[in-house]
Amino acid sequence: MSGETSTTGELAAKGSANGTIVEAIKVRKTYLRGKEELAVLQDLDLTVHEGAFEALMGPSGSGKSTLLNLIAGLDRPSSGQIRVAGVDVGSLPERSRAKWRAANIGFIFQTYNMMPVLTALENVELPLLLANLSSKERRERAKTALEVVGLSERMQHYPRELSGGQEQRVAIARAIVTDPRLIVADEPTGDLDRKSADDVLKLLERLNTEFNKTIIMVTHDPAAAERAKKVHHLDKGALL
Amino acid sequence: MTMVAVRNLGRNKLRTLLTMCGVMVAIVTFVLLRTVLSAWTAAADFAAKDRVGTRHKVSFIMPLPKRYVQEVRDIPGVKSTAIANWFGGKDPKHETEFFATLAVEPKDFLDVYDEISVPEDQRESWFQNRTGAIVGDALAKKLGWKIGDRVTLIGTIFPGDWEFQISGIYTATRRSVDRSSFYFHYEYFNESPQATQAGMHDMVGWIVSRIDDPGRSADISKAIDVKFDERDVQTLSMSERAMNTSFIGMISAVLKAVDVVSLVILAIMVLILGNTVAMGVRERTHEYGVLRAIGFLPKHLVVFVLSEAVVVSTLGGVLGLLVSYPFVEKGVGLFLEENMGAFFPFFRIDPMTAVAALILAAALGLVAAALPAYTASQLKVVDALRRAG
Repeated sequence: MSGETSTTGELAAKGSANGTIVEAIKVRKTYLRGKEELAVLQDLDLTVHEGAFEALMGPSGSGKSTLLNLIAGLDRPSSGQIRVAGVDVGSLPERSRAKWRAANIGFIFQTYNMMPVLTALENVELPLLLANLSSKERRERAKTALEVVGLSERMQHYPRELSGGQEQRVAIARAIVTDPRLIVADEPTGDLDRKSADDVLKLLERLNTEFNKTIIMVTHDPAAAERAKKVHHLDKGALL
Repeated sequence: MTMVAVRNLGRNKLRTLLTMCGVMVAIVTFVLLRTVLSAWTAAADFAAKDRVGTRHKVSFIMPLPKRYVQEVRDIPGVKSTAIANWFGGKDPKHETEFFATLAVEPKDFLDVYDEISVPEDQRESWFQNRTGAIVGDALAKKLGWKIGDRVTLIGTIFPGDWEFQISGIYTATRRSVDRSSFYFHYEYFNESPQATQAGMHDMVGWIVSRIDDPGRSADISKAIDVKFDERDVQTLSMSERAMNTSFIGMISAVLKAVDVVSLVILAIMVLILGNTVAMGVRERTHEYGVLRAIGFLPKHLVVFVLSEAVVVSTLGGVLGLLVSYPFVEKGVGLFLEENMGAFFPFFRIDPMTAVAALILAAALGLVAAALPAYTASQLKVVDALRRAG
């Protein structure tokens, strides 16, 4: 995973000048529930350094997934700033944010979210459809990503032919295939048995240590959080 | 990306198959109705160019005096004339079978309608036998009649049992005549008490003239009508083609209705297909959220939804055409050509109809998926991801 597909190298270099890749400054996120304004995040500050593996923990409704969504550029803060690799993500228009996500963020979801009609290889190849690559190049990169997660033998299998742990590893391959610097994982072991969860966590550790990927992981699982280098606890929209 | 859309068709095979079948049925119906329209219109094209028909000026159903026949024959440019009377007979053994029964003067009739082919011996036998009749090969086959058979028809206009003997079976060398008609002697009809009672003695339904120059059919028609302009019974003459066209004009409302029905069927299919696509989009909301998260743009989702719908509807259209050809041309078409040859002399799918059906099938998918595609493109990533996967 060489970083060849990253299209924001310049911005990344700028962001990592002081070793910071994610910077949340006075971030506030509110939702309207009827006429009532509900504050999910309240003036939150967070700094994540390049190469970190950090976990966000907290009870349901504490705002950890909302924070992760803001960092990943899926949503915009109501106020404050989220800077990722030097880019003020919240200020990007929708279309630019989508392109930015495609180039810089790898997503791992709790429920894997594979397309059932595509093979493991095709699922991993999916994000590369947005890159300017030939089909041969796409295939090669997808194969490499699957090799990294140890599933080169299962490339032609459909999601229904894979176990939960294997599906999640395919999802990880899909997350790293564009060689993003930041991987966000929302409850990546939430649907897995202990053994599979352990395999997935080992893989995340390896991506962090061997490939220097920055990982931010939301989890309820203390065992998973233990594998992170740093754990942040959230409650009622604020870091403890 | 289209590949992904195509692969998505295999996600719910039964739904895809049923949707394709729905489109197929709509396309078969569309092709059938369109072919009815084109075949009906084509009937006029098969009309003989050197024949002029003369009827009562007011209506088809009002008769002309038989004495007019000789006067028409005397008009310059008219080579020969024939008369015909609509009889309205029915075979009691086959009550539901409709076929035209016409009283004609055999020699004149075969002279004017030279595309009616009857073997010489059968022709002579018909001329000699006052109760003889010739029937089309399609009708003879359908009702199991053979030469020499005695048949009794019930008169629906001229009541009573009418005895006939099958003298000959005709075939048609051109598509301008129906192969399911029954022709018998006018003399037999004219001398019957029923004709007298109905005021039809020495009256004819219409006169058909063979002319020497097809290019003069309008002038000759005019000359015929001018001749009878000052009489009690005026005439209306026109080329056989114009006569067929005017008949089509009489049923133009029916044709218009057929036209509208064919389009209504497609409109219904758009709604059904649209609902199916919308259902698919709702089910995949979470998946679309994931795609948007990893960088796909709203326009990509539009491409996914539209291509999937267009591929399904186009495949349904292709399937519809594949079914249409044997169904319309070998099934319904053969039946209509044999049994209603005068109206549908050539019941075949017009290549333009096939092309239009295919284009419409694809357009069907495009229109049906437009709203669901727009809905998918407007999804907020976070909201879509929150939906159960």
